[in-house]
Amino acid sequence: MATTSIPEDSFLGRHQFLLYRLFSLAGFIPVGAFLIVHLLTNASVLGGAAAFQSRVDLIHSLGPLLPAVEWIFIFIPMLFHAVMGFVIIATGVPNIGSYSYQGNVRYTLQRATGMIAFAFILWHITQLHWMGAPVGGGQFDPHHAASSAAVALKPVAITLLYATGIIATVYHFANGLWSMGITWGIWTSPAAMQRANWLSLFVGIGLGAAGLGALGGMRSIDVEKAKEIETRMYKARQMLDGGISAEAQQHSAHAVSLSRESSSVMPAGSTSSANKEKRSKKKD
Amino acid sequence: MITASTLLNSETIAEHEQSPQEIRVRVLRQDAPGEESYWQQFAIPYEPNMNVISVLQRIAAISKAQDGRKVAPVAWDCACLEEICGSCAMLINGRVRMACSSLVDNLFKETPGEIELRPLTKFPVVRDLSVDRERIFHSLQRVKAWVPVDDSYDHGPGPRISPEEQEDAYPLTTCISCGCCMEACPQFNKIEVVQREEESDEELESRKQSAYDQQFLGPHAISQAVRFNSHPTGSMNADERMQSLTGQGGIQMCGNAQNCVAVCPKSIPLTRSIARAGRAATVWAIKKFFDR
Repeated sequence: MATTSIPEDSFLGRHQFLLYRLFSLAGFIPVGAFLIVHLLTNASVLGGAAAFQSRVDLIHSLGPLLPAVEWIFIFIPMLFHAVMGFVIIATGVPNIGSYSYQGNVRYTLQRATGMIAFAFILWHITQLHWMGAPVGGGQFDPHHAASSAAVALKPVAITLLYATGIIATVYHFANGLWSMGITWGIWTSPAAMQRANWLSLFVGIGLGAAGLGALGGMRSIDVEKAKEIETRMYKARQMLDGGISAEAQQHSAHAVSLSRESSSVMPAGSTSSANKEKRSKKKD
Repeated sequence: MITASTLLNSETIAEHEQSPQEIRVRVLRQDAPGEESYWQQFAIPYEPNMNVISVLQRIAAISKAQDGRKVAPVAWDCACLEEICGSCAMLINGRVRMACSSLVDNLFKETPGEIELRPLTKFPVVRDLSVDRERIFHSLQRVKAWVPVDDSYDHGPGPRISPEEQEDAYPLTTCISCGCCMEACPQFNKIEVVQREEESDEELESRKQSAYDQQFLGPHAISQAVRFNSHPTGSMNADERMQSLTGQGGIQMCGNAQNCVAVCPKSIPLTRSIARAGRAATVWAIKKFFDR
């Protein structure tokens, strides 16, 4: 039963410490930091469709920079964390059957929730992010944030999958925070680890509440009403954009024609699907 | 309705539970390295205040399986019988512990009348309950768990160590290298290097050493590295120990399951050592990066 041994001169062997520490760091910054921002942004839907829409608009104000920001600060670190995570899972042999200590249960759950979170996030991105559109996903419309999310999350099965995914992801982050503090040597004594436990519990419950609150908030959105609000906000933005560009380049016929073109894209009362087709292939 | 017979029955059961007449022992045996393991049952008379070692001694004296067959005595390791030599760690009722300090009367609280014995699963079996514990000491070599003062020069008196420092280090010095922490660790995996056809003993040995070198040190070695790095004389070799701690199979392999500290028969604060080693590794790695 010899285990898979990595040759000493291999890349993984030579840089094992660095890679494991980068893995640990990536789980906190940027992936964990993103999780906090993401769940809190989503929880703003509890303040109504307009509150959520204005936050989504803020993110999407990055415009063409958004995909670059997503890949550099979210997707690539997340992929690195996931790949390293699977390497780490492969090197361990869980044994809660023999040793059902709390720490060991948490160790095993950390690995289980990591895998659940990976599968969940993959599906979540496909379902809502515009990148998932070619395979029938990409249901999130950044110009109709709350209503499109509400439609996507409405089925009970989907809601349950989301609740599971959110709980697993939040557990993985909160427990990972505690574990990371030991790895980097932030809390070293058993008493300090116990105090850190409270911190991770606090973070976990807070983020869990935000995540599940967001899920409940999205589900309880009145889709038609939300659409109305969002469309109004979208039109207002269009007018503002058009107004600014017209003002800034008053003498440029090209700019004027562009702004006309973009407002013609948005006829009154247009549906979210119409928007999606035209110029809103972006995501939260 | 309580009849006389049921009353009698429950009384005998209660009596039986208080002091069983015999101990049924299930042993996972293996005749030689690499061979198939098999279960064997033994029954020995109960005596008060037995430990697992005395149970094994009775089995050796009888050398008969429960079915009456004459069998070779069960092999096991032990020496001090007072939880200080570290040689008798085995799986007792599925959990790693020292055979000498595992009292039968306490084990009967888990499984009345029965005891299950298995060899450690993270080390190659030599025979029956005896395992090859070389890797425990190999890990100690990797982190240079000693103070190198072996020469004939007069180095003068050693540096003073404050009572606080002594108190802090003392628990770490009580490690008996029993392997319990490694056995219970989900991140510490078995390595059994088997001799290939036409492979010389030297080739086998070097292949084994390099296999041991690449895998996880184990909690005990990390704790010893911390202990010697905090010692004023030992800290003169701190860099070498940090090199091993941050090398392949070093501190990063720890998954914070914290089983080590839970099973340690000497109650050594292993997770504190691991966290301190983690902190030292953080500082050392940053320093090394900017100093090179």
